[in-house]
Amino acid sequence: MSKPEFVYTTYIETSPEKLWQALTDGDFTERYWFGHRVTSDWKVGSSYRFARQRAPSIEGKVLISDPPRRLAYTWDACSPDAKRERTSRVTFDLEPHGTVVKLTVTHDNLDEGGKTLRDISGGWPMVIASLKSMLETGRELPAELHAAVRERSHA
Amino acid sequence: MLKPAFNYISYIETTAEALWDALTSSEFTTRYWFDTSVISDWKVGSPVALVIRGLTTDVGEVLEADRPRRLAYTFHHILNERAMRERPSRVTFVLEPRDNIVKLTVTHEGFADDSVVFDGISKGWPAILSSLKSLLESGKPLVIPFDVLDIAELDETFHA
Repeated sequence: MSKPEFVYTTYIETSPEKLWQALTDGDFTERYWFGHRVTSDWKVGSSYRFARQRAPSIEGKVLISDPPRRLAYTWDACSPDAKRERTSRVTFDLEPHGTVVKLTVTHDNLDEGGKTLRDISGGWPMVIASLKSMLETGRELPAELHAAVRERSHA
Repeated sequence: MLKPAFNYISYIETTAEALWDALTSSEFTTRYWFDTSVISDWKVGSPVALVIRGLTTDVGEVLEADRPRRLAYTFHHILNERAMRERPSRVTFVLEPRDNIVKLTVTHEGFADDSVVFDGISKGWPAILSSLKSLLESGKPLVIPFDVLDIAELDETFHA
């Protein structure tokens, strides 16, 4: 049987170049990704890391870097629970269609019933909704939203 | 949840009431839903019709209407020959406000395994709900060419 996979598609009024920058530039991710800042040189084989208030949250290696079309990296959550799970993979596909870009996020190679699958299934819709708001209106979603939902899911 | 099922979550900066109205009023739906009027009086048991430029594409019945929290109706495609032979499916909208953000969860379920309607709605909802979010947040829906969805079966119907 195939491993679980999470796919989320959205359409954003922007250009593929701006969307690529938003996915790879720490100044942008910090705004819409609820304080998580990414750093990498985005060369294939290079490492990348997300950190919130300097505490590492997600890390991995760049697998595909084809701006502004396709970005893929491995995904290891930096929490002790998730460390026991397999390394998963995230792929971003950017397809321009007139004034909009179709963004497809595919997160695969996940453990069935694992913590990572649970976290990312709740996390991606929120992060991508915030990214879309930031690019279209200049206002990301409030960080309190993320905190509130996390609290509830851990209760 | 009945399989196969489609599930989509979005977060929209709006109020639950404004989102409810956008889901239930033709004045709004034609702007973000590929020109579709969603017509009903939204009483439980009342009919629902999806109409594109005078052509009814889908019909159903209101199952739940608890403004502004929960809306559900059955969904039966009636234009495409293969799709119209399928049993009606069911779509549910759950609206959960938190401060100035509403979490919207759309679940569309009750399909046969080889359903062509399931393929169509799986491609359609992300586009419709993306445009809905844009409309409510920026006042402007998205311009998404219908061909982008690549819905083979239903495409013929709309472009015949």
